Amino acid sequence: MNRSTVFVGVTVLLLTGCVPSKDTDDDSANTAIPDKIVIGSTLPLTGTESKTGGRFKQGYELAVEVENADGGIDLGGKKVPVQLNLLDDTTDQAKAVNLAQRLITQDKVNFFLGTYSTAVVEAQSTVAEQNQIPYVNGGGAATSIYAKGFKWVFGTLAPVANLANTEMQWIDQQQAAGALPKPARVAIVWENTSHGKDFRKGVQDFTAAHSSGYQVVTDESFALDGKDFSAILSKVRGAKADLLMIDAHLPDFITMQRQYLSSAMCTKVLTYGARGTESDARTALGAEGVNYILSAVWWNKQLGNAGLNKEFVDKFKAKYGTDPEWYQALGYEAARSLFTAIAQAGTVDKEQVRAKLSALTMDSILPGGKLSYPADKGGQADYPFVVQQNLPDGTSPIIYPADVANGKGVAPNPACKG
Amino acid sequence: MSRVRFLLAFAAALAALWVAPLVLPIGDYTHNIVGLTFMFMAAALAWNWLGGYVGQISFGHAAMFGVGGFVAARIMLSSGLPFSVAWLLGGLAAGLFGLLWGHPTLRLRGPYFSIATIGVGEATRLVATYWSDFTGGSSGLSLPLAGNPTKYQLYWYGLYLLGGAVLISYGLARSRIGLGLSAIKEDVEAAGDLGVNPTLYQDIVLFLSGTMVGVCGGFYASYQAFIDPQDMFSFDRSIGLILMAVIGGIGTVLGPVWGAIVFVIIQEFLLANYSELYLGLYGALLILIILFEPLGLTGLVRRLHRLAIPVRRAT
Amino acid sequence: MGEVVVLAVSAVLLAGFYAAMAYGLGLIYGVLRIVNLAHGGIIMASAYVTWQLFDRFAIDPFLAIPIVLVVFFAIGVGIYLGLVRFLPRGPAGAVQSLLLLFGVWLVIRNVAYLLFTGNEQVIHTGYATSSVRILGGSFSATRLAVFAVATVALFTLHLLLTRTYLGKAIRAVAQNPDSCTLAGINVERIYVFTFGLGTALAGLAGTLASTLFAFNPSFGASELLKSFVIIVLGGLGSIVGIALGALVLAFAEVFAVYAVPPYLTTAVGFVLLVVVLVLRPGGLFGQRVLR
Repeated sequence: MNRSTVFVGVTVLLLTGCVPSKDTDDDSANTAIPDKIVIGSTLPLTGTESKTGGRFKQGYELAVEVENADGGIDLGGKKVPVQLNLLDDTTDQAKAVNLAQRLITQDKVNFFLGTYSTAVVEAQSTVAEQNQIPYVNGGGAATSIYAKGFKWVFGTLAPVANLANTEMQWIDQQQAAGALPKPARVAIVWENTSHGKDFRKGVQDFTAAHSSGYQVVTDESFALDGKDFSAILSKVRGAKADLLMIDAHLPDFITMQRQYLSSAMCTKVLTYGARGTESDARTALGAEGVNYILSAVWWNKQLGNAGLNKEFVDKFKAKYGTDPEWYQALGYEAARSLFTAIAQAGTVDKEQVRAKLSALTMDSILPGGKLSYPADKGGQADYPFVVQQNLPDGTSPIIYPADVANGKGVAPNPACKG
Repeated sequence: MSRVRFLLAFAAALAALWVAPLVLPIGDYTHNIVGLTFMFMAAALAWNWLGGYVGQISFGHAAMFGVGGFVAARIMLSSGLPFSVAWLLGGLAAGLFGLLWGHPTLRLRGPYFSIATIGVGEATRLVATYWSDFTGGSSGLSLPLAGNPTKYQLYWYGLYLLGGAVLISYGLARSRIGLGLSAIKEDVEAAGDLGVNPTLYQDIVLFLSGTMVGVCGGFYASYQAFIDPQDMFSFDRSIGLILMAVIGGIGTVLGPVWGAIVFVIIQEFLLANYSELYLGLYGALLILIILFEPLGLTGLVRRLHRLAIPVRRAT
Repeated sequence: MGEVVVLAVSAVLLAGFYAAMAYGLGLIYGVLRIVNLAHGGIIMASAYVTWQLFDRFAIDPFLAIPIVLVVFFAIGVGIYLGLVRFLPRGPAGAVQSLLLLFGVWLVIRNVAYLLFTGNEQVIHTGYATSSVRILGGSFSATRLAVFAVATVALFTLHLLLTRTYLGKAIRAVAQNPDSCTLAGINVERIYVFTFGLGTALAGLAGTLASTLFAFNPSFGASELLKSFVIIVLGGLGSIVGIALGALVLAFAEVFAVYAVPPYLTTAVGFVLLVVVLVLRPGGLFGQRVLR
């Protein structure tokens, strides 16, 4: 007993004892020109998000290939090739964090391109901030990522609030033209994720700023993978909404839209956020089931008639044989902006590249034509979305903003009786 | 193993692991992963107190992990208390939360209890995701990077967590409580006749288990520096603890520790090369263990041991 | 008032799907005292089988039901003979069966992932969005058809269990396997048949689900969890109880919007589960043995 007490005592002492700490590696200004620039990255290449992860990978890899085609990035007169070190994080937060830690501290990558899906980006970006390495991502849209005062994190996705805002701007135009009632009754239905929250905020901010034109009559969130939306739809019906503004991911969109259609509902304007144009949706609901649905995305290949856009779409088609979607475009732009900042800095010094990213304004394929990471938005890009509408002829033209529109939107939904 | 031998081995292992990173040339990545694994070992051990010693399989331990993590995170965000105090308070909150649902449901046995824990886990996840004032809702909570231990330092805190969990595991198994627990596992009513109060004993164990898992949640919050309810409270997290305990040897004193090692090795090394197969691999492992060696790795080692030293004692 | 009626009809239709979802789990638990954690995986697998039949051979999901029943009966028999048979009976076996069948679920998920990737799949029938008018409201024809199938399944099961020799044997085994052995019933064969039937019913649920929802390899988890709620409400192991449990859950979820935010309606079911288990472990309707 005596001896065991001693051991327990020793253990307790050890427990209260201090913990070794380590000086962080002294990353003093590294101005030497290396043989290659190594970019670390993780993406969900397997698991539930594998489809999207694979698309971002295409975007990242195309950007690297284009950059290396003429020898690489110009660092003070010497062309240095770029090497992408990409690992699979399986959409797991802990894994994304650990892999980023490994790439940064063990493999000593120079810079980092972020992963996809908001929660994972949010977890991973803290590693970049802790280790003070420039982190550019095309897959994290939530404003909360950029509201923490991080200095090293840059996001290419404009906030989802802009999605709602751009859609509302088009709606406002229709209202001004007399096509929609004033005030219009607005129902907001959003999935309880940061995507849905930002969407809701976008609608709320717009309606608050135009309070004479809009009245929010329903505002409800729902849980992912719902089996029955009749109660929510009934609330919307009861509130006699004119505009039904929903934010949902694909499975819920399909379930909800099927119930919306079969319960013979018809609102003057209907949107599911980014959803509605994809081929999966047409398969699930039939061409008629998606008619007149409004949707908005960060980028669309219909923007690609000229200049940088044409260049991107052509190169993408040449390499992969398919048309790019917004995922690939955002991955491509995220990587390209990093390369541009490195070239501007003329060095692989992390602090100098960070400063260049922060001050960056470059010509871009994104709506608005310019990409920058404004400091007042915490390093998140800020540009309008492209609004599309599914028309009965099977096309989904861009209907807003006017400078890129290639079709004319329809409101109110002509399929509604009365 | 006698008590003295156990404590000697324990102190030696703890000391060896304490100095290992200072003398061995392991990389930062491995160092961090090992630190995180210590925490998982501690959590799996804590699950085993209820699932193994008492035989009450909980599918809802993620609820305590999440409560501990979020309470600790809130305390770290809103007060100047040191993180270790925050972890402890988070753990206590988780233990109390465990009692709140555990006291009524622990009267249920076998599958009834397991099903109830599934309900508890899912309801807690949904409410936590909805309650954005406390958990940040679906956007989660970010911890300040300053004032938190670095991942490098967390290795030792993880080790202390593990050390504490191992001592409690050993103490529980060897104490009077441990005897009472195995009596409850065999037959609740008979245990009652023997003067064991099943309600009290089970409550104590669940409180201990919940507190330890809650402290682990706090550790995880410090490690990740960002937590969100969908991840913290996920069903997969509860499942992970069960897998570790079962692979290592459910109900054995140290089994979950070995189970956690296998679990992490599968995740880290096999996943990197055959990431499409990892779910099936866990599944196949589970099936094989249940059919052929219900005590998992521990059972396997014992069997090999018996083979190597055929007749020594008749136990 | 009108809205309440519309919601009530929606809840009844939803209850049909919920009941179909839980029959298999309830039957296997009632007779074998085994919680089939692979239930969700079977539902998912059957959704994929139905999708393949629809996609490759243009077989309508509702016409595919007989095929699915046969295929999954065989799979169930296979799982029983290959794995479940070896488990010890009694409390130890109950815990081990949870873990074993969970392993089976993980394997099924992985196989589905390897074969069909993680992408969402849907079945679009010509009538996916057509509607029928009932009591002044407009309802999905597919949901109505699902409800009809679930009701037919309920009556068939009930007749099978109460009017046939096999059914009586199943109920006898559920109540007391030992005395059945004495009475000359081959208990093991009853177990094989019941596990097969329970799996086939899970297959039926998967086919029905595939007509309503998009699915991927992780589909089935929430179906499994809700099935638990339903069989607990219904008293663990009574077929009629399951139907009533499904009704209670569906009504609770649909009408909970009047009391709690829609986001939390799912949580209502889980809270009900725990409360009923604690206060009335025999289920809301007080039945404990298979009827």
